[in-house]
Amino acid sequence: MPIVYRGEPSDGELIERIADGDRPAFEELYRRYARTVLGLALRRLGDRGRAEDASQEAFVAIWRSARTYDPSRGNGAPWLYAVARNAITDGLRRTPEPAADVPDGPSGGPDPSAEAEDAWRAWRVHRALETLPPNERTVIEVAYWRGLSQSEIAELLGIPLGTVKTRTRTALARLADVLEGELE
Amino acid sequence: MTNLPPDFDELVSGEVDGAERDRLRRVHDLLVEVGPPPEPSPRSAPGTNVVPLRRRRRRSALLALAAALGATAIFTLGLTVAAGDDPSAEQVVAMTGPSGASASLEIFDVDEAGNWPMLIDVRGLAPPSDGRLLELWLTTDGVPTAFCGSFFTDDDGRAIVPLNAPWRIDDFDGWVVVEAGSTRPLLST
Repeated sequence: MPIVYRGEPSDGELIERIADGDRPAFEELYRRYARTVLGLALRRLGDRGRAEDASQEAFVAIWRSARTYDPSRGNGAPWLYAVARNAITDGLRRTPEPAADVPDGPSGGPDPSAEAEDAWRAWRVHRALETLPPNERTVIEVAYWRGLSQSEIAELLGIPLGTVKTRTRTALARLADVLEGELE
Repeated sequence: MTNLPPDFDELVSGEVDGAERDRLRRVHDLLVEVGPPPEPSPRSAPGTNVVPLRRRRRRSALLALAAALGATAIFTLGLTVAAGDDPSAEQVVAMTGPSGASASLEIFDVDEAGNWPMLIDVRGLAPPSDGRLLELWLTTDGVPTAFCGSFFTDDDGRAIVPLNAPWRIDDFDGWVVVEAGSTRPLLST
């Protein structure tokens, strides 16, 4: 399901504008995808510094290859994912990971197809988070990744507990709408 | 802090049931499964002027990004100094003031909680005559919008002070130092 932004251009529209050299469109796309692309790079590379490098290179690749985007072949998110993933992989080839001891016997590493599926899922979830209104995104991020209870969030943000609960429910429902395909 | 997943039943309580509750629970499970998105450091952001201190290889990517975005967009945060004494600093932002005062603001890697530790080194900024504090703010369109800490300077106008920015730095477009209660920049990027 395409991610829909109320009153905002879609990812695909932004990519088409970038293809025409529209810098504000590129900045908007960066705002939407900065954390998502870095998350993909970090998941692939494991090292924060290398992931930051790869993330920058991914955005350069997006700028340079925007003309290859064909909206008739799908919405913007999968195209962005493919370009970013390729740029990250290319960067990995140029700067391979430091040599490590090779274990004896069969590899215990993750299944590549499962790894790719996990990366795509994380990409979609992280991107969906960016579509939330800031006040809803905040309660989700604090609840899930800073370990605060609903009461603690209310105290932190200076809002009633009921408001925290309402925002949380509303945010989860919005995410469910955006992530419909992931929930099946 | 141990970040245990939140209790879904606490989040949603009993007001939602049936198919909708199942739908929200699947979102909950996905959030727990994928974990948080990382926060890009300021050096990654288009529209910021960032030259890394340690990883010079990034310069080529940044230059390409600069070419993509244009010099005016890249340099909106003012001059960034590309060399520093502290090898652990990720970037240094230079600030200047109309009185000839200056400051360098070293920004370190964001911590797990989302704080950006910083060290400001101020020179030539006389302390306010009425004893007011000096304050560092992040700005939006030049207006101080996010407070990052306060400090004094000594009689020589000098201060070296650790500060902290618990904000998403790339949401802002600059830095200023002002007197407490004032928005007039004494130092700015």
